[in-house]
Amino acid sequence: MREMTTRNFRRQSAEACRDTNLRAVLDHATRYFQAKRGASLEAFPGRGEHFARARAARLNALSRLPDLLEELETNASAAGTQVHWAADAAQARAIITGIASAAGARVVVKGKSMITEEIALNPALQAAGAEVWETDLGEFIVQLAGEPPSHIIAPAVHKSREDVAKLFAEKLNLHGQSIPELTLLARQALREKFLAADLGITGVNMAVAETGSVILVENEGNIRMSTTCPPVHVAVMSLEKVVASLEDAADILRVLPRSATGQKMSSYVSVLTGPRGQGETDGARETHLVILDNGRSEILADPVLREALACFRCGACLNVCPVYQTIGGHAYGWVYSGPIGTLLTSLLQPRAETRDLPFGCTLCGACKRTCPLSIDHPKLMMALRQRAAKGRTNRFGAAHSLLARHPLAYRLAVGTARAVDPNLDLLPRLPGLPGLSEFVDSRHPPELKKSFTARHRTAKKGKP
Amino acid sequence: MHANLFIPCLVEDCHPEAAQAMVTVLERLGVAVRHPAGQTCCGQLAYKTGDLKNARALALRYLDVFARPGPVVCPSGSCVKMVRTYPELFTPGTSEHARALDLAGRTFEFCEFVAAQPGAAQLGAHLKVRACYHGSCQMTGGHADDAPKGADDAPRQLLRAVRGLTLLEAERADRCCGFGGIFSLQFTAVSEALVEDKCREILAQEPEILVSAEPSCLMNISGHLARLGRPLPALHVAQVLAAGLGKAVPPWRTRT
Repeated sequence: MREMTTRNFRRQSAEACRDTNLRAVLDHATRYFQAKRGASLEAFPGRGEHFARARAARLNALSRLPDLLEELETNASAAGTQVHWAADAAQARAIITGIASAAGARVVVKGKSMITEEIALNPALQAAGAEVWETDLGEFIVQLAGEPPSHIIAPAVHKSREDVAKLFAEKLNLHGQSIPELTLLARQALREKFLAADLGITGVNMAVAETGSVILVENEGNIRMSTTCPPVHVAVMSLEKVVASLEDAADILRVLPRSATGQKMSSYVSVLTGPRGQGETDGARETHLVILDNGRSEILADPVLREALACFRCGACLNVCPVYQTIGGHAYGWVYSGPIGTLLTSLLQPRAETRDLPFGCTLCGACKRTCPLSIDHPKLMMALRQRAAKGRTNRFGAAHSLLARHPLAYRLAVGTARAVDPNLDLLPRLPGLPGLSEFVDSRHPPELKKSFTARHRTAKKGKP
Repeated sequence: MHANLFIPCLVEDCHPEAAQAMVTVLERLGVAVRHPAGQTCCGQLAYKTGDLKNARALALRYLDVFARPGPVVCPSGSCVKMVRTYPELFTPGTSEHARALDLAGRTFEFCEFVAAQPGAAQLGAHLKVRACYHGSCQMTGGHADDAPKGADDAPRQLLRAVRGLTLLEAERADRCCGFGGIFSLQFTAVSEALVEDKCREILAQEPEILVSAEPSCLMNISGHLARLGRPLPALHVAQVLAAGLGKAVPPWRTRT
C-alpha cells in the first residue's frame, strides 16, 4: 500500500518547487482550468443566486444528515440496491472485497473516485486476487505510473503529454505522440477490460435520499460503462454526499460542472436507481451502495470545521491556490491536495501526521473567493492552526507576545535593536525562527528607521 | 472629524514614511488625526500561529488603546482584518465582545477610509510616474475572482485619480506575493517561488515604482527585487498620494 507522507509536507513542498518541469505543467494546467471556469461563469446569468442555491442544498443536507441517510437507505433498498455501512476504511475494504469474491470477480473496472483512493481499495482488491483497472484516462495514467492522483478532478494534471507517451511505451508497449493518439490507445486498451469485467466500482457525486439514486458526473463515458457493462456495480460514498431531493441535486448540477471544468453540463450525468429492472436492456444486475464514515461524524460534530463537508469536489480551489499552483498535489502526501485537501486530510488523518498542513497556506483567500459554495477555507485553516498550536509554544512567538503586552519594554527592545543592528543583520540568529536565514537569503531585510512616533512628535511640535 | 491612527508595528519602525504620508493625506481631507499611545502589535502574529491566548491578550490591550470613540485608520489591510477578527476571540454577551464589535466596526484600512471621504475625488494629486500596483490578498474585501470586470477597489480608485500617474496592472496583480507571515519562514522554498513569480510579473511592466496598500507585501517584494539587483522604490498608496499633493520632488527621485 502507498504510504501516507503528509508528515514530510514541508520537505516535499520544497522538493516540488525545485522541479521546473512540474512547475511548468502545473502553471499551464491551472491557468487552463481557471480560464475555462472564468469564461463559463461569465456566461452564467444569475450565478450568485445559483451558487447560493447549491450552498443551501449542501448545508441543508449536512444539517439533516442522519435522517437523510436513513431515508437514502430505505429508498435505495426499496429500489433493489444493497446498502452497506462502513465505519472506517478497513470495514469498507472488507465489504467491497467480500462483494468481489461473492461475485467471483477476476476483472474489476473502476470509475475515477477519490473515496476509493482514500480507503486504498485497489491494493486490497489486488491482494484478493482481482485485476483492477482504472478507466478514467487520467486515473489510468497515474495507475500505470504507480502514483496517487494529484488533483481532485484531473488526476494526471502533473504529467505532460511527453510524460504520458513515455509511460504508455514503457508499460503497455503502445506508441503514440499526440493527445488524440494517446487517448485512442488508452480507449482501445480499456474497451477490452470493460467487456471482460465482472465488477464495476465507482464513487458517488451525490446520492439522493428521496429516490435512493446515486448520481455520477463525468466526461469520458467510462463511468457509464463501469456501471452498465459488468453484472455487478458497487458505488462507494462518504456519508456527506447525500442530498435531500432531485431538486437539490439539480441545483448542485447547475454549478458543479461549471466550477470544475467550465462546462454548462458534463458530457455524462448518470442517475442510477437500483439494478436493471424487468424488461430493461442495460444496467448492472446487482447494485451495492457502500456508505462510509471514516471520521466524518466527528467532523460533523464540530460547529466550525463541519463546513469542510459541504464541499462537492469541483477542484476550483486547487487551481487558484498559489501554493498548489507551485507544488502540485503529491507534495501533500495523501490523496487530497490544495486548500480543501489541506482541510480534509487534517480532519481525516491523525493530528501528529498533519500538523504542518494548515501552516502551508498564505491565507490569501483565493480559495474562499473562488469556492462556489463559499466555504471559508482560511477560517477553517485558522481553526486547524489553533488545534495544532495547543500545548506547543514557539519561543519567538511567545517572546514577541510578551514584549507586545508591555509597550515600554517593546520600545526598549526595538530601540536597542536599532542602535546595535539597524539593518537587522542579526535577525536570522533569533531563536525560534529557523527559516529566517533562508528568508533573508532571498529578501533584503528591512532596516529599522527612526520611528513614526518620534517623527510625528517632531512634526506636531513644528506646527503653529 | 477626528481619526485615530493605528500604526502597524512594521510601519512604525521600518516604513514610517507610509504613516507620515497617511497623516498628510488625512489632514488634507480635513480629518484631524490623533495618535493613541501604547501601540505595539495588534496580535496578528500570535493569531496566525494559532496562539489564541496571546492573540486575545493583545486584542484586549488594543481595545484599551483605541477605547476613545471615532474611526480608527490603518495603512495595512491585514492588521485591519485582524481587528475585525477580534469579536471571534471573545464570548458573545461579554463586555469584551461588545467592545470588540464596536472597534471592529469603526476600524478602516487607509484606502477604504479615504475613498469614502467626500473630498476624495477632489484630492487633486498630481504625479507623473509609471506605477505598478500589487493588490494585496489581505486587503479587506479582497478582489473576488467573480467580481465584475473593471470594478476598481479602493486603492485602484485612489491611484487612478492621481493625474499623470500611469497605473500598470501586472499579470496576476492580485495574486499573493508569497509572504504570509510565518508561512514565509516555514515554507521558505514555496514562499520564494511565489515572490519570484510576483517580481517577474512586476518587472515585465517596466515600472518606476512599486505601489501597494500592504506594508508586509511591500517589504517582501521589494526585498526580493533588491536581491535580484533590480530594486524599485516600494511605496504605500498613501505615499504616492502625499507625493502627488506636495510640491517637493518625491523622495525616491532625489536619490541616485
